[in-house]
Amino acid sequence: MDYSKPVDAELFPEGCERCSLTKFMGWMSILGVVFLWGLYAAVRVLGFGLGETGMDDYFGFGLWITFDLAVIALGAGAFFTGALRYILNIDELKNIVNLAAVIGFLCYTGAMMILVLDIGQPIRCWFGYWYPNVHSMLTEVIFCITCYCIVLILEFVPLVLENRQLMKRPFIHALAHNFHVYMPIFAGIGAFLSTFHQGSLGGMYGVLFGRPYLFREGFFIWPWTFFLFVLSAVSSGPMFTVLVCTLMEKMSGRKLVSWEVKQLMGKVGGTMLIVYTVFKCLDSWYWATDMLAGEGLTFDQMFHGWIYGKWLFWMEHAFIIIPMIVLLIKPLREKRWLFYLMLFLTCTSITINRYVLTVQGLAQPVMPFDSWYTYAPNWAEWASCFLVFAYAAMVLSLAYRYTPMFPQEVELNKK
Amino acid sequence: MSSEVKQFKIRWGMVIDIDKCTGCGACMVACQAENNVAPAVDGSNKLRSLNWLTVFRLSNHKPFPDHEVAYLPRPCMQCGKPSCVSVCPVIATDKREEGGIVSQIPPRCIGCRYCMASCPYHARYFNWYDPKWPGDLAQALTPDVSTRMRGVVEKCSFCHHRFMKAQEAAVARGEDPMNLPDGAYITACTEACPNGAITFGDLNNPAHKVHELIKSPYAFRLLERLGTEPQVYYLSRREWVRREGDNYLEHEKTGEATKQG
Amino acid sequence: MDRRGFLKFAAGGTVGLVASPIIWNTLYDAVYWTQNWGWIPRLKKGESQYVPTVSKLCPSGTGFLVRTVSGVPVRTIGDKNNPVTHGAMTALAAAEAELRVSPARLKTPLRRSPDGAYIAISWAEAEKLLKEKTQQAGASVAAVSGDPTSSINEVLSSILNQQGSSDFYFMPDEEQPAAVAWEAMGGQGRLGYDMEGSDCILAVGAPVLESWGVVAANRSLFNRTHPVGGEAGQKLIYAGAVQNNTAAGADLWLPMKSGTDMALLLGMAHLVIKAGKNGFAAGLGNFASFAAAYTPEKVSAITGVPQERLEAAAKALVEAKKPLVIAGSALGSGGSAGSVMAAIALNMLLGSVNREGGLLDLPYPVSVVAHATDYRDTMRKRFVDYTQNVAAGKTKAPALFFVYAANPVYSLPADSGVKETIKKSGYSVAVASFMSETCEECDLVLPAALGMEAFDDVQTPYGSGRVTYALARPVAKPFADARSAGELFIALAQELKLELGVKDMPELLYKHAYALGAPFRAMMDEGAVHTARVTLPASPLFYNWEAIRAAASARGEEGDLQVAPVVVLAMGTPQTAIPPFATKVVTDYQLKGRYSVAQMNGATAAKLKVNAGDLVKLVAGNNVQITVVAAIFEGILPDTVSLVAGLGHTAFDEFSKGKGSNVLALTSVRREPGTGLPVWGLAGVKAARA
Repeated sequence: MDYSKPVDAELFPEGCERCSLTKFMGWMSILGVVFLWGLYAAVRVLGFGLGETGMDDYFGFGLWITFDLAVIALGAGAFFTGALRYILNIDELKNIVNLAAVIGFLCYTGAMMILVLDIGQPIRCWFGYWYPNVHSMLTEVIFCITCYCIVLILEFVPLVLENRQLMKRPFIHALAHNFHVYMPIFAGIGAFLSTFHQGSLGGMYGVLFGRPYLFREGFFIWPWTFFLFVLSAVSSGPMFTVLVCTLMEKMSGRKLVSWEVKQLMGKVGGTMLIVYTVFKCLDSWYWATDMLAGEGLTFDQMFHGWIYGKWLFWMEHAFIIIPMIVLLIKPLREKRWLFYLMLFLTCTSITINRYVLTVQGLAQPVMPFDSWYTYAPNWAEWASCFLVFAYAAMVLSLAYRYTPMFPQEVELNKK
Repeated sequence: MSSEVKQFKIRWGMVIDIDKCTGCGACMVACQAENNVAPAVDGSNKLRSLNWLTVFRLSNHKPFPDHEVAYLPRPCMQCGKPSCVSVCPVIATDKREEGGIVSQIPPRCIGCRYCMASCPYHARYFNWYDPKWPGDLAQALTPDVSTRMRGVVEKCSFCHHRFMKAQEAAVARGEDPMNLPDGAYITACTEACPNGAITFGDLNNPAHKVHELIKSPYAFRLLERLGTEPQVYYLSRREWVRREGDNYLEHEKTGEATKQG
Repeated sequence: MDRRGFLKFAAGGTVGLVASPIIWNTLYDAVYWTQNWGWIPRLKKGESQYVPTVSKLCPSGTGFLVRTVSGVPVRTIGDKNNPVTHGAMTALAAAEAELRVSPARLKTPLRRSPDGAYIAISWAEAEKLLKEKTQQAGASVAAVSGDPTSSINEVLSSILNQQGSSDFYFMPDEEQPAAVAWEAMGGQGRLGYDMEGSDCILAVGAPVLESWGVVAANRSLFNRTHPVGGEAGQKLIYAGAVQNNTAAGADLWLPMKSGTDMALLLGMAHLVIKAGKNGFAAGLGNFASFAAAYTPEKVSAITGVPQERLEAAAKALVEAKKPLVIAGSALGSGGSAGSVMAAIALNMLLGSVNREGGLLDLPYPVSVVAHATDYRDTMRKRFVDYTQNVAAGKTKAPALFFVYAANPVYSLPADSGVKETIKKSGYSVAVASFMSETCEECDLVLPAALGMEAFDDVQTPYGSGRVTYALARPVAKPFADARSAGELFIALAQELKLELGVKDMPELLYKHAYALGAPFRAMMDEGAVHTARVTLPASPLFYNWEAIRAAASARGEEGDLQVAPVVVLAMGTPQTAIPPFATKVVTDYQLKGRYSVAQMNGATAAKLKVNAGDLVKLVAGNNVQITVVAAIFEGILPDTVSLVAGLGHTAFDEFSKGKGSNVLALTSVRREPGTGLPVWGLAGVKAARA
């Protein structure tokens, strides 16, 4: 036994260094405390009812739905990178596709955890399958998200199996190999499911013809928000993957993915961002100038005070237009801090988008005699979101420590 | 994307004369008692008090002394094209039965609250906690409407159980249950309104008062421009009240915009 | 493991799981659990019955059908066959089946122990105690009743009279100042209002559609005169400081500063005289010249009502065939006699006295119990004079003090002396249905049955234009150990060997019906209600301008802001507090969490530098200070804040306790110049941001 190495070094990926087990356990226990705090909130919500949250009859959706939509959009890196890697065979992406898959897995399972809390009768969650309403965008979402979650599990399992010690067992070795063979199929199914439910999530809002803030016309059965959600997810998903990767590099002090691969991911996301930005701006323009007027409303009436002010609207748009331009210009794109900042702005814009559609869309009073009310998530909602963050950080930490997530790691860290 | 307006032979509807309503709240009390809605200890938080029927106070937005006030009771609109039905993922709410009442089945509801987000009238309410009848209050539950449980959405049903009772009574009398006489079936709020502000009946049936009332030049519906086709109509001789019923741009006049909408 | 093996493994596992009953049974069971939590009450099926009776909790004696299921009341539904209220309900009456079983309901007799806690005792013990205390008290016994329409009062007053005490009182209400006023103007009977016969009603200060008079009857009249979507057959003009529920139904609202009712009425008198309406009676000349000083300009300045609205109102009265003017108070108690006198004078000018659609002289309710005090004599007595004298030591405190169907500790101003009277009295007994603030002060609390649980009656309530008589019949068993208050007092009299002339409540009710010529059998068996138009010889009315002038000299309340109280029946009465099913009817411009909401108009708010939602401290002249939430509402006079009455309970249950402030706490008792009547209900306050 080599005493210069951590005690669990035998489990590390081949040729990779990791911090001491004590340090790692310290980090994990910090996360554990956050996790327990969130668990307490979750237990209260499940035990007493959703009255434990800050939601009410005007804000039936709140932080949790915003959170779900945001992480599902940002987790789209998994299906999109996967599709590019396994279906279009862009080989360089193999260096980051594992991470993308893990992030996707975490985002989706995290969203599922929050959804279990968010629906009033979690024990009846399977009704979506048993009594499906095929006209509802939400039915489509339930179908696709649960199916895709299974796909993500199937994509995540081989990575776990590739742990150095596990791989020594022939059965697991064979299993992992088989998983790999089927990966393109999973990627394909995943791409299909994910595209659809990303769209359906957007469609959920666009079909609400009783809500002028949200309602959009569209193509066939899909409102424009359907397509905007797909586009925003595929542009922000890869960017988020890069950001998480960079964060992990900063925290671990090791290089994990090469700058070229990150730039490639940025290019992929950036290209999608151009399409998204164009359509998003067109959509906003048409909505503000035409659709609202048809319902007897003005653009100004969609905003109220500071908390639901126009700054959100302008920020949402600016944070996709600026990154789009910056990422198009090569010298700018190659400045690291600017590159990361632009990715961050894009992810922020997408999060704002999910927030305003969820909360401001409901806050906007449609009946002229109704009032603007405000919603603020309470501690239980925040805590359960942190539960997911803690869970994700723990799984990611474990995956980083014990699985060969980053094929380039050994190469990049050669002294 | 959205369902079409459903047609029925019988279309139960309400005509609420706002000029007759003085906002006393008897309808709200009767509704809760009739439908076994649990009482709330703090009813002053309007965002958390479950109320199938709510009375809004309207204002003509003029400063004192030219200010005018009106009250608008808001049940479920039982929309012809309900925004809630098409969005429910588990068909816990539907508009299928003759009469055009939008049903809500609490034991089917999973509590996703998507229908609440869809309804611009805020007619849908959520059970944030288990309903409670402190002390002996549960003794006063009526036998007609099942109690609900936490985590489900509920809303006004036009006292649907009364429709069924009226039909049974008609059958017992040897009459056509699909052609009830005017007044044979009315809701608890209609019955309780001391000012007679609410008229209830079959909008399609010429023998029912509401059939004529909805043709009044003073009749309007809430948010007609959104295309929800409510089965609840309002009446007011006051232009400002009718204008409060929908969103209008400054230059638009009430009658015109509604027709085009 | 090869590919085939892998596929077999995966497929076999899945099929096996799906084919086993584990998943399906669990899912089925899970759904069953989620629908049948044990702690959610089940419905009890049973036979439904609909029994007509009248409400004793709602001050207007609303006629309703009590729906019982297996004998338990579950709903109250307006009784269309009731000739008084015609099926109209009030928010309070609609909540009565639930109030019957509310947590605040008294279940058993309670005796206060020396350490202040209540001990549940048996009825036998309670009755023994009651008998002893009454015997010991002798003539030193006093009682107050908060239900003037019930003949149970006669039993109680008879007991007092036979003990040698004349201290039987009614709680101050709307009728007492009106009785003083009617008598001052020469009225000989009881003041009645034929609202049904009128085509134009001016209600000054009296919220006729929410709390004044026989509200359910007023509402049903409003319903009948205002056909759906059609032309109104009766005009309603309302003068008050707040655009309240009555203003919402009125054709014209006169925004009148609180406490300026007399000036408004005199201004109207001036205008109708100018228009040639000067119904002759003695004193006309003097009255007319007194009223002449109340020019529209002056009245507008005093009352705040825009001149053109004064003129419009006068025009409507002059042009109406059968105008009727009603004066009353926003609070329903503590009002002034002067404004009623001025209203009577205005009716006289308009020729609206002793004719259809005008003021009428009705007979007072008669007494049938031996030795009982007549209604009219009790009405003349002033409870607040008595309690203030006892509190000040000017009158000896009673050895025994009964409070029946009243909550004076809550519903009278703090300086009314009622709390001190209860404290000073040797022994205090509350006979009530709900655990009120007054009950909490008393030594013995006896649970009374509700109207739907016992025999009781509703004799012509004040505000009626006819003689009416209705019976409350026991539709259900009394809740828990509650007992008919009437039977309780009769039993007490019998124990004390006092003479009543009736042996039980049915006999008492029978004698009443007989005296009125009412169909007792039909009333008893079918819930029929007796009504009669009674024409008495016209009273020799005169313009008592001196009394009016004296009353008009009353000074207003000082303070930067005037408080305008608003009474809504959804808030219950002082005896019921907020019914559990009415907490949701209470609006967010009446109550926010634990604070009362003070509505004020934008100009007032700007002056006070407060925004909607701010906490504001109001300090009254009596140094009482309350904290309220500000709300902006333009239907209210400048420099006025409106507060809803019925909040600030410290007793009852969780549905009423600890919510907002009692508006009465801000008021103080004054004496009206001329009549000497104790009046309150007005308050001036200073405001500051909290």
